[in-house]
Amino acid sequence: MSHFLDRLTFFRKNVDSFSDGHGVVTNEDRSWEEGYRKRWQHDKIVRSTHGVNCTGSCSWKIYVKGGIVTWETQQTDYPRTRPDLPNHEPRGCSRGASYSWYLYSGARVKYPMIRGRLLKLWRAARAVLPPVAAWASIASDETKRKSYTSIRGHGGFVRVTWDEAYEIIAAANAHTVKAHGPDRVIGFSPIPAMSMVSYAAGSRYLSLLGGVCMSFYDWYCDLPPASPQTWGEQTDVPESADWYNAGFLILWGSNVPQTRTPDAHFYTEVRYKGTKSAVVSPDYAEATKFADIWLNPKQGTDAALALAMGHVILREYYLDRQVPYFEDYARRYTDMPFLVRLTERDGRFVPERLLRASELPGGLGETNNTEWKTVAIDEVTGDLVAPLGSVGYRWGESAKWNLEEKDGQGRDVRLKLTLAGEGAEIAAVDFPYFGQRATEHFVATEHGEILTRNVPVRSLELADGTVIKVATAGDLLMANYGLDRGFGGENVASSYDDDVPFTPAWAERVTGVKRDATITVAREFATNAEKTNGRSMIIIGAGMNHWYHMDMGYRGVINLLVFCGAIGQSGGGWSHYVGQEKLRPQTGWTPLAFALDWSRPPRHQNSTSFFYAHTDQWRYETLTAAEIISPTAPEGDWNQSLIDYNVRAERMGWLPSAPQLRQNPLDIARLAEAAGLSPKDYVAKGLKSGEVELSCHDPDDPANWPRNMFVWRSNLLGSSGKGHEYFLKHLLGTTHGVMGKDLGDEGAVLNKEVVWHDEAPQGKLDLLVTLDFRMSTTCVYSDIVLPTATWYEKNDLNTSDMHPFIHPLSAAVDPAWEARSDWDIYKGLARVFSEVAPEVLGVETDVVLTPIQHDTPGEIAQPFDVVDWKRGEAEPIPGLTMPAVAAVTRDYPNLYARFTALGPLMSEIGNGGKGISWKTQHEVDALAALNGVQPSGPAKGLPKIETDIDATEVILMLAPETNGEVAVKAWEALSKATGREHVHLALPKEDEKIRFRDIQAQPRKIISSPTWSGIESETVCYNACYTNVHELIPWRTLTGRQQLYQDHLWMRAFGEGFVTWKPPVDLKTVPVVKGTKPNGNKEIVLNFITPHQKWGIHSTYTDNLLMLTLNRGGPVVWISETDAKSAEIVDNDWVEVFNANGALTARAVVSQRIKPGMMLMYHAQEKIVNTPGSEMTGHRGGIHNSVTRTVLKPTHMIGGYAQQSYGFNYYGTVGSNRDEFIVVRKMSHVDWLEGPAKDFAPREAAE
Amino acid sequence: MARSFKGLSALLSYPDENLLAATGEIRDAFRAEAIIDAAPGSVMDRLLASFEEDDLFAAQERYVELFDKTRRLSLHLFEHVHGESRDRGQAMVDLAALYERGGLMLSANELPDYLPLFLEYLSTRPFDEAKALLGDTVDILTALEERLDQRRSPYVAVLTALIGIAGRKTAARAVEPVAEPELSDLAALDAEWEETAVTFGPGEALDGCSIDRLRMQVRAGRRDVRQARA
Repeated sequence: MSHFLDRLTFFRKNVDSFSDGHGVVTNEDRSWEEGYRKRWQHDKIVRSTHGVNCTGSCSWKIYVKGGIVTWETQQTDYPRTRPDLPNHEPRGCSRGASYSWYLYSGARVKYPMIRGRLLKLWRAARAVLPPVAAWASIASDETKRKSYTSIRGHGGFVRVTWDEAYEIIAAANAHTVKAHGPDRVIGFSPIPAMSMVSYAAGSRYLSLLGGVCMSFYDWYCDLPPASPQTWGEQTDVPESADWYNAGFLILWGSNVPQTRTPDAHFYTEVRYKGTKSAVVSPDYAEATKFADIWLNPKQGTDAALALAMGHVILREYYLDRQVPYFEDYARRYTDMPFLVRLTERDGRFVPERLLRASELPGGLGETNNTEWKTVAIDEVTGDLVAPLGSVGYRWGESAKWNLEEKDGQGRDVRLKLTLAGEGAEIAAVDFPYFGQRATEHFVATEHGEILTRNVPVRSLELADGTVIKVATAGDLLMANYGLDRGFGGENVASSYDDDVPFTPAWAERVTGVKRDATITVAREFATNAEKTNGRSMIIIGAGMNHWYHMDMGYRGVINLLVFCGAIGQSGGGWSHYVGQEKLRPQTGWTPLAFALDWSRPPRHQNSTSFFYAHTDQWRYETLTAAEIISPTAPEGDWNQSLIDYNVRAERMGWLPSAPQLRQNPLDIARLAEAAGLSPKDYVAKGLKSGEVELSCHDPDDPANWPRNMFVWRSNLLGSSGKGHEYFLKHLLGTTHGVMGKDLGDEGAVLNKEVVWHDEAPQGKLDLLVTLDFRMSTTCVYSDIVLPTATWYEKNDLNTSDMHPFIHPLSAAVDPAWEARSDWDIYKGLARVFSEVAPEVLGVETDVVLTPIQHDTPGEIAQPFDVVDWKRGEAEPIPGLTMPAVAAVTRDYPNLYARFTALGPLMSEIGNGGKGISWKTQHEVDALAALNGVQPSGPAKGLPKIETDIDATEVILMLAPETNGEVAVKAWEALSKATGREHVHLALPKEDEKIRFRDIQAQPRKIISSPTWSGIESETVCYNACYTNVHELIPWRTLTGRQQLYQDHLWMRAFGEGFVTWKPPVDLKTVPVVKGTKPNGNKEIVLNFITPHQKWGIHSTYTDNLLMLTLNRGGPVVWISETDAKSAEIVDNDWVEVFNANGALTARAVVSQRIKPGMMLMYHAQEKIVNTPGSEMTGHRGGIHNSVTRTVLKPTHMIGGYAQQSYGFNYYGTVGSNRDEFIVVRKMSHVDWLEGPAKDFAPREAAE
Repeated sequence: MARSFKGLSALLSYPDENLLAATGEIRDAFRAEAIIDAAPGSVMDRLLASFEEDDLFAAQERYVELFDKTRRLSLHLFEHVHGESRDRGQAMVDLAALYERGGLMLSANELPDYLPLFLEYLSTRPFDEAKALLGDTVDILTALEERLDQRRSPYVAVLTALIGIAGRKTAARAVEPVAEPELSDLAALDAEWEETAVTFGPGEALDGCSIDRLRMQVRAGRRDVRQARA
């Protein structure tokens, strides 16, 4: 063919060519480009971030066009770092990049919603009654109440107006306050750092009401109790940029690229610099590919691996050879030189508590708090001394609480680390060993229950004439690690190949990790630290923290860092980035959040103990104290139920209680007055006589139920609620999947302190209110759902522990549909509450009980033995042997006026935190000038807090981190205690005042403040404990040093004086269900592990189609090829996972990545997407927490004891969940339960 | 025909006392304008009757259960076309611009693609124009009709009526009918779902969202329906 007709005669097609004819220039229609051009056009760009429970805190540009958010991109204008350090940006991940979708999603909550049955009851009652009486008529009628509580989770929602919703909630709150007490109004919201004002909105409302704010960090099991135990600090960590300064980096159970995506680049970059990295992870996690060496211990055995590494480091860097840097560090910054009393038992000795100055003749010359001054030996003089820095120096005197090498009389001292040497006395000391208690799923090693080892000791005569033996904590620690030092005796090793705890050979049996790998990593880690003065770092993941004996793994790792002098050094340290996100302007925020400007103290509760009691998980407890008690425990009645331990902790003032008293705390003041006593004396007397009762003794009595609950910024039921099915059964009273029997049915009731009711309550809550922007699982179960503004629709503040910047959330657009910001919602509720309350409430006196608080003078309450007033061992003395008692005035009709103004206590008392305080009148005046003052009413003349931006300014103005002038005041305040000059850390920034508009313009770096232990500087990255090491500010512990020995009675009783190996506990949830309801498929048993996922931040984004598409579009569990084969499961099969706690349904992902014996289910995949019915329960499959139940640990309840004193989200029981085992089997019938719901309380009841 | 569109818009809105009181008026409008079959015994008649007979709470619960809680029955048109995609923002901007060109500004706190809102707009336009605009949405309407029918909901009457006005036939401009392979034929299913490579040039990406993308979205919507039936 000639193509004649195809050829152009008069035209040519291209207008030009280039690159030797390889390129052609054309002039054809380019209108198609309009599509792309239009796509990038916008009216404005607003800076915001994602206030999700994530450490990202990433700056994003939100593009708005025609009043509609069209997309977001990463912002790249962070302040630069230093020439030798990569910058922080761009920050973000695939999850954040898909957020704009949420604004207009079908899953968005668009209107206030209420269960139709409840609204109908309300309108009928309200037609004839005033609001509070109307609510009372519903809540006190069991049939009416049940008609809506029993259908929770089963739909039936209708829309309601804001005004009506407010009135119902306000009436319910007012009725609850009046009839039961304000401590029956509960609020749960986590992680203030992610949106501080939104958190503060709810907590301010609750605190003015006298309601209870619930903790989250401990409940999520992200709080590592090892941190407060060791450092007296909740958690403080290096910023991610400091990874770049590390010379050796271990990732231990942390999956940085997957869960710390915006920061992962520092990890990549530091490897280019030559830093070596070891990854410790049982599965081939995403981070593993970064590893130069991968250690894959069996899940749950990390402590054994850490102990073996510690064994190697102590052997090679402390004993066979002494590294000057390490030795100096151990002497000055750890408790190793301090003397521990030894008690004799069966001719051998057991380590007891640390020796105190009060026990020695003349108190070693000290007079103040001698019971709290710990003792060591001066190497030069050989004298016993009470070195500066211990907690006894912190309170009641000044200028002596520091880490200078001096004693209380100003003498120079050099503390002796070991008593070994010529003529040393050697004694046989018993150490507990738990390794043989492992269940069939773990390796049990037979070394005996008690390991006796020889230790150098000295005999001392005490002031009372008795002679005791003492040893240094360091010598005991060496013995604890099983190191042969030539003292003879058993249970010590001189070779790494000896099968003696805790050698690498021993660890190989327990963990499966080859000894050579353990030795190599330990050696390289320490060698690097030796050469760099501590630039060895461990990034640790909460995966390790979620085991019942988490403290062992964590303390094992912390010890490695302390041995190597890595804590407090740039490029070194302990990097636990989980679940806290560092509320950087904390002391500016607490007055706003807990209404400390109007009344103190607020009501705080540790959630784990609360939910354990009030979702009745305690009724199913399978773990007994006998299984975990130490063979070396001192004499005592230790075999009590775990809830009994908790109750004792509550009444001794260790842990908080909510509800607090069986009696309404509003009545207590009246009764006290009638009795002619102060509330404090009345409560103490009443408790002793039995007239006043603590609620914790009978959590199932309706008098002690929590009644109203708010959930905001949280998906409590769809994500974090361990023991999900128990929540449904007992707290909510609706359909549930609990399959186990309670202790009553099992005939195994052990508790003596807590009343047992044969019939367990179902449905304790009268009202559950949730604020959310999407219809989460928690919303689905709530009675009232309020639509909140998204993160592009409100103004707020956000900080992270990963970087030192403070970020805004900004309203790019108005809230869509009827949504309102959390601030506006609670403000609106406060207004309506103030209108409704006078029906039953006026100005009232509320009696508030608080536990003994850490970082207050009260923390030195119970120096020696545990004394229980209830058992007649002491008098109940508020704040000393029992909770403190305070009378607080509540002005209910003026709650709104108080909500919207900064109260007078900021001027009258001032502000502070972590044990220091300062005056803040100047800031109050500045706020009055900035925000304006209330023109009239009860708050007349006080600074306004009307809008969310006003609220941000309160935080920014009051906080040292964002107001240089306050920072200077705060450092000056700290100098009073330490006697050292610290103000140089903030002086250069004294004039800097960061405002909300400043951070909208660009993220701002915060200012160094004594609230935190690191500094912001041009020369070092933020790193935890930096000021302890470099400014000689003591750690906030008993000795003022890093506390490797825990000497409290309960720590010793449970064998945790020193770190040791404790295998996972047996929760016994499998035998009761395995094989009971066969479906024809094979059932196998696996360990259930729930790490953080890739396609969501907890449950947020998991209902996002983009993220669902990237994964499998619904719930999945991961199992190994080996296990899949034995259970005859192939990839993508529907499987059911169950145990006594409940059941969940999911598809199986079969992968080589997973270690045989474990199942991995990323939390938190909700049951609102693609979840079929369970063959075991007959109900819709649950969530990951359907097969978990929380179990308390007595050592976490300790209080009144220096660093082991309560603090909100600082210390307390934690919700561990990884010791669970489950049955998995292929499903034979996948039922989507599409038909109408049945079996509910009839609708008629509502009518 | 304005009142018919307005009537349909009202029927698809959240039921309140005003709607319950206005069913007679709506019935009259349908009868008068005669583009909708509301004869006694028809599905539309049943829907209207349900508002007359049911308790307001029951009607509201039913509405929330259907339209507020399930994405598959979302009354926001672009939920079905663009879903989570960024294209949705631009599409809504374009739609709002259309309303503005028609002289109307959004006053309710609603998105421009909310079907009752869209119908109200149509009620203000000449019938031919309204019919043509409605025709653009007929695929989505058909999917919603099918899903409501499956649930035996009388609300299906509104969708049937709208499709009747628009003409029951897939509008070919953006969405071509998709041949659906057997679910068991996995290779064919994979091939069908695979996105083609992006090509730049006239035609494909004219609206900032490709035909492929639309096809996938619509297909995703349909698949749900089928699976639920299984």
